[in-house]
Amino acid sequence: MSNVRQRARARFGDPGRRRGLLVAFEGPDGSGKTTQRKLFKKWLETEGYDVVTTKWNSSTLIKPIIKARKSARSLGPEEFSLLHAADFRHRVERVMLPALWEGKLVIADRFLFTGLARDVARGLDLDWVLRLYQPLLWPDIVFYFAVTADTSRQRVTTTRTPGFYEAGQDVTEKIDPVESYKQFIQRIIREYESLAIIFNFMTVDAEQSIGDQHLEIRRIFRESERRAWSEWNLDAVADWLVSIGAHR
Amino acid sequence: MTSTSTSPGRLIAIDGVSGPALQAAAREWRMGGHRVASISTWDASGIFGDLGDRDEEGAPSARVLLLLYATDLAFRLRWDIRPALAEGRAVIAAPYVDTAIAFGRAAGLRASWLTHLFGFAPAAAESCRIQPPAHAAGHVGFVEFGCDRVAYGRAGLDRQRLLERATAFLKKRHDAHRRAR
Repeated sequence: MSNVRQRARARFGDPGRRRGLLVAFEGPDGSGKTTQRKLFKKWLETEGYDVVTTKWNSSTLIKPIIKARKSARSLGPEEFSLLHAADFRHRVERVMLPALWEGKLVIADRFLFTGLARDVARGLDLDWVLRLYQPLLWPDIVFYFAVTADTSRQRVTTTRTPGFYEAGQDVTEKIDPVESYKQFIQRIIREYESLAIIFNFMTVDAEQSIGDQHLEIRRIFRESERRAWSEWNLDAVADWLVSIGAHR
Repeated sequence: MTSTSTSPGRLIAIDGVSGPALQAAAREWRMGGHRVASISTWDASGIFGDLGDRDEEGAPSARVLLLLYATDLAFRLRWDIRPALAEGRAVIAAPYVDTAIAFGRAAGLRASWLTHLFGFAPAAAESCRIQPPAHAAGHVGFVEFGCDRVAYGRAGLDRQRLLERATAFLKKRHDAHRRAR
């Protein structure tokens, strides 16, 4: 194990080489983070970065399993939480860490904080959920798109009806998805706001214009991109190297 | 998230690395005077069946398989185990938590993470370990399924070695349970 830890340090900790960067976009539904993620990606590419994007609940292995069970409304809170943690871990191992190892910039449209906010809003214990995601991979920057519960509800419900789990109907037990969403999103935002303080998110006022938000993201990124690699990530990288047989 | 069994029913955990041996032992247990018992088996949720051979992104790691096992166990607790216990019946879980922990330990995962992962599962009133038969055929259990996937994956682990390690970890864990009682 010490061998893989040395390799991880050599790869990411060398200030002389352009290392991989991990940038996460977080926020409640309707906060506009996907729009910002796309603008950010285009800008990074014009700046010469090799960018890889990964979205929440998107692994080809586990996404179909989650989708089928969401359609059947058959998931309890623990199952919901564990399946999303499995999907995330598979993407960490198959998409994020390989790209970071190659020196690419990874944009995660939602990160493990989405799981934390939603699962805790469903009544699960924060410590139990957080440790599902161990060994933890910490982003270099987390952009948190802050909106009020009313803004989120308005933006989401003017174009569509929120899904059963998105509206939290499994826990609010409300029949009307919009009413349920209104209640559930307040809980999610409360959890996000706590996480933003604990994990030092870069909060973007997502009630601003799209252009203003984008400029703010560029500025924050420029200020943060040269920061040193976090040793907190050593376990996650070492675990991944072992899982692919790189310790042999 | 630690949970204990407080319901009037009785949870019996049967663990082992061989799927066919676990099935046979659970049936035998029920026939031997525990007629009211229901049996909760691996993959009641169908997750592993749905996972199939979909390996476009590569085989899942042991850690991903354990998260899926925990998902399946949460399903079994919700639909098989807790309802039976609440009705005051005996229920056999074959396999239960120890099988998964043994597989995880064999694959090199930390005991603390594994214990925490299964913290939502109530402790069994009784537990037993099934020795793997020399040549078992038929139903594939979690450990065989997991060893196949992990051995197929990029880690390049030896399937037989994994099975042996899982068997040894299970024995160690079972001995620790016995000493604790």
